[in-house]
Amino acid sequence: MREVAVVGVGMHAFGAWKGVPVARLVREAGRKALADAGLSFRDVGEAYVGHMQHPPMKAVLWMKEFGLTGIPITHVEDASATGSVAFREAVRAVAGGFCDVAMAIGVEKFTELTGAQVQRGQRDIEGTILPVAFFAMWAQRRMHDRGTRPEHLARVAAKSWNHGALNPMSHRRPDHTVTPEEVLASKAIADPLTAMMCCPVSDGAACAIVAAREVAERLQPDRPLVTVRASVLRSETYTKGHTFLGAVVGPAQMTADTARAAYEQAGIGPEDLSLVQVHDAFAIEELEYYELLGICRPGEAEGLVESGATALGGRIPFSTDGGLLARGHPGGPTGLAQIWETVHQLRGTAGARQVPNARFGLCHLVGGGSVCCIHVLAREDAHPA
Amino acid sequence: MSDGVPYEDGYFVVPDDPSEPPRLLGTRCRACGEPFYPRRATCARCLSDDVEDVLLGPRGTLYTWTFLHVPGFGEHRTAQQGHAAGQIDLDEGPRVQSVLLGGPTDFRIGMRMEMVLEPVGEDKEGRAILMYRFRPAA
Repeated sequence: MREVAVVGVGMHAFGAWKGVPVARLVREAGRKALADAGLSFRDVGEAYVGHMQHPPMKAVLWMKEFGLTGIPITHVEDASATGSVAFREAVRAVAGGFCDVAMAIGVEKFTELTGAQVQRGQRDIEGTILPVAFFAMWAQRRMHDRGTRPEHLARVAAKSWNHGALNPMSHRRPDHTVTPEEVLASKAIADPLTAMMCCPVSDGAACAIVAAREVAERLQPDRPLVTVRASVLRSETYTKGHTFLGAVVGPAQMTADTARAAYEQAGIGPEDLSLVQVHDAFAIEELEYYELLGICRPGEAEGLVESGATALGGRIPFSTDGGLLARGHPGGPTGLAQIWETVHQLRGTAGARQVPNARFGLCHLVGGGSVCCIHVLAREDAHPA
Repeated sequence: MSDGVPYEDGYFVVPDDPSEPPRLLGTRCRACGEPFYPRRATCARCLSDDVEDVLLGPRGTLYTWTFLHVPGFGEHRTAQQGHAAGQIDLDEGPRVQSVLLGGPTDFRIGMRMEMVLEPVGEDKEGRAILMYRFRPAA
């Protein structure tokens, strides 16, 4: 297996882009990533396109925006983890020696989905319960087991909204400092989750270009080298309490299992991380992932958020770009937006969001069904070129 | 109740005698003993194909719940502005997710629950289409 580096990232800002053609979102994210890499589309050996809800064939048709070069193009879908899984496929194509440069691109327009499209393939017997209800049930159970209070969830959400304000790619960019009180006072959605503890409905696109390490070193001798130290995808292992009908994701153990495998592959532990991106579609999730990713011990997540450790300026900032809660969660591109943010942090180009001297970044998404995908990216200090 | 039809075949039994409780259609693995809902042909735990049909419910314990203040979705949109949803650990083992009958203050984790059938529409012959729900046990 060859070492793989991320040589280019690009995004079309997340938001509600009514009337903007999907192909234009794809083009903007992809062209920005190619420009960032200093490459032409002719250099790309293979492309993986992630989307969740658009019709068949669309992935290949959108890619014509870049020119028709005959390369293999594959549509990838793993629900919320779609963008992460597209990235993983590009990494594997390069690591396996099938090509030297690969593109992973994700796109989605959720704001134009009709109810009928959302329900496609869903039956009442399993589809009556919304994702927000599923994760609200996580929160109720944790409140019962750990004494978590809605204030803890509000602190997680306020932190991420305020991170979003610093990110030009973020869907939600509040013009004032969001407080936990404001989050708690927003509309009740599913007890104890309020509207500001839930991700918005977003559109957007994001792209990453990966290359063999030696190609990256030749291409970008003056730039900090960002490598992919771990790329792990898991599905569920059967455990008691597994709910086959209606559940969005399986038992939380899946994240812990995936994280363990990712740390082993990367040769680091959670204490080595500089920053973390997670599937924080709902505030309770980020609280759970503090523990499941090994950032703190079980039962310590509430204290961790109270201490401010997971905000920018804290010990281990989470969702530095606003996370799914603020930056947005259009589905297809979400995992690639995490890569975009982590690469900028590791290069030292994250502007007002910069985590000082960031060395290792972890990106985590779960996808309904369910799967968990984790990547660990590293800034390689010893740059041989 | 006896002239009602299930919302979808293969998931639960509508009893002929309305005084009898509804049951869920489950599977038990003969090789390792693990019970499942809904029915399946291969054990998810030990991968054996040696499985048997069993009836599950109607009673269990509330593992978690929430109250939604937004309309539900699905073919039969929940008419009222808000409904409860929960996960119930059936006495036989499997955890099931279901709409709950009750208001925002009617539930607490660990309480005993029972399954009932609720009409969600009518078929072409005018028979009630029934779906299972859970509510606090009487």
